Amino acid sequence: MLNFDWASDITQETAKMIFFGLYLFIALLVALLPKDYIFEGIPKNERFWYKNLKIWSWTVLGILASVYYFF
Amino acid sequence: MLSGIDYFIVIAYIIGMLLLGLYFKKFVNSSEDYFLGGKSLPFWAIGMSIVVSDIGALDFVGVSGQAYRYGVSVGNFDWVGSVPAMLLAAFIFIPYFWRGGMYTIPEYLGRRYNKSVRTIASVTWILFFALDLGVLFWASAVLLNVLMGWPIWISILSTAGVVGLYTYFGGITAVIMTDVVQMIIMFIGGFALVFLGLHAVGGWENMVEKISTMGPEYQSHFDIIQPSDTKSPFPWTGILFGLTFVMANAYMIGNQSIVQRCLTAKNEWHAKASMIFGSALKMFIPILVLFPGLMAVVVHPDLADGDQALPMMIKSILPPGLVGLMFAAFFAGLMSSVDSLLNSTATLFTKDIYQPFIKKDADDKHYLKVGQITTLVLLIFGVATSPISSDFPGIYVAIQTFMSYFQGPLFAILLLGIFWKRTTQWGGLSALVIGIAFAVFLNVFKEHFFHIEDPFLYISWWSFLVGFVINVVVSLMTKKHSEDDLKGLVFSSKILTKNKSL
Repeated sequence: MLNFDWASDITQETAKMIFFGLYLFIALLVALLPKDYIFEGIPKNERFWYKNLKIWSWTVLGILASVYYFF
Repeated sequence: MLSGIDYFIVIAYIIGMLLLGLYFKKFVNSSEDYFLGGKSLPFWAIGMSIVVSDIGALDFVGVSGQAYRYGVSVGNFDWVGSVPAMLLAAFIFIPYFWRGGMYTIPEYLGRRYNKSVRTIASVTWILFFALDLGVLFWASAVLLNVLMGWPIWISILSTAGVVGLYTYFGGITAVIMTDVVQMIIMFIGGFALVFLGLHAVGGWENMVEKISTMGPEYQSHFDIIQPSDTKSPFPWTGILFGLTFVMANAYMIGNQSIVQRCLTAKNEWHAKASMIFGSALKMFIPILVLFPGLMAVVVHPDLADGDQALPMMIKSILPPGLVGLMFAAFFAGLMSSVDSLLNSTATLFTKDIYQPFIKKDADDKHYLKVGQITTLVLLIFGVATSPISSDFPGIYVAIQTFMSYFQGPLFAILLLGIFWKRTTQWGGLSALVIGIAFAVFLNVFKEHFFHIEDPFLYISWWSFLVGFVINVVVSLMTKKHSEDDLKGLVFSSKILTKNKSL
């Protein structure tokens, strides 16, 4: 059990899908964050799209998923 | 090994770092300035500092060596082993710590659980950081000795002198701003080696083809996901459960030297953004440290020790000038690790040990002085203990193993502490103590329990799980905290709305 023997039947392709699923799940959680929380600390008149931390997070997750797709 | 231009680059780099660090002395007027940079720093500087502190010169050599032996799967540590944890830190934990005006992670644990949990966590980090200092001083001295021909003790004293001076006077602002320059130098030096290395092996596709046809042991060199029954230390189950779910989170959320940087941010947006920006930069680290190891498989296929991969690549690929830059990059990695350890340990000692136990109500200038004196004492301790590395070559691995005992249980109490109101002080304390003891037990008897060569990922997962269960069980059996005790310490959906009272 300590060696995760139950996972020995899971193929590398399926395991990779599990990682993609994790990235998608995190991206969805980020999507649920309210706008005010994302911009907290920035005055209302300076809340431009490029300061939206949701976009930053999705970009990083997208690059991460691409790396796992490539390898 | 170095030519005239290389010497010039290295010496100019060292003097430049010293002058830049000392420039920030004028901004230090209070303990908040010294430990939290007056809460005035921008996200980009903090993000760059997080990345360069995380990757030291020893990692450059070690990761390249592992890539030489095991292939790209070692890249998991900077990819899936960083990004999810840094996003969790950015959106959940960092806002709590930043809004709470905290200086240290143990300070949060003390408010959420009790003084004992705070002290155990703080003393463990102080011990770890202090021991690590000597190892890093020795490593930098060996580098200077081999490449510049300086005697070991002159090398140790010059490293300690440069880093010690700017950390003593400039505090965390000097640490972070020198890290920014150090990261730029690391990236320039690292990318130069990768581009020239790729050219030497005939391009990426050629390298992949050559390595894949070198024999059965190289068949999975380009598989980032390794099967669960692999003999390498990186089965996907260990990467997912041990690394992604436990070690990465414990590191990004529970490591003082990482989190303290985010607490220097000028506002909450900058604190969150620093982590996300840092996670973007972290994704480039495997290119710098892993690719040279892969290229060395083609250029130097018969190395007896994988850790020789990077030095051999530098020696055979880089022209004069770039060797000096690469050496400056190495040195940057070491200096950034040393200055982080000095400042974080001084913060832990002053805020978690000195202030609560030795002198409670002194004025702010007193604590600033204590922080500076602690930095000086640590410096002397690091220099004095550095020869231990020569007598016990395995000490770096031993210190890392010691820390891995702590990571699982620490993350268990942080996670439950912030997400579950019912967690009590006795639940947290017993989870920390029993969890660490369980990790030590698993490590001592690892041959009986595990099939893979180095099961540290599995040990961190199981010790996390035991710490988690112990915390839940003991908490349910003990008296719960009042709502007032938990104010601002436990996750509430209110943090996601305009209500800033948490």
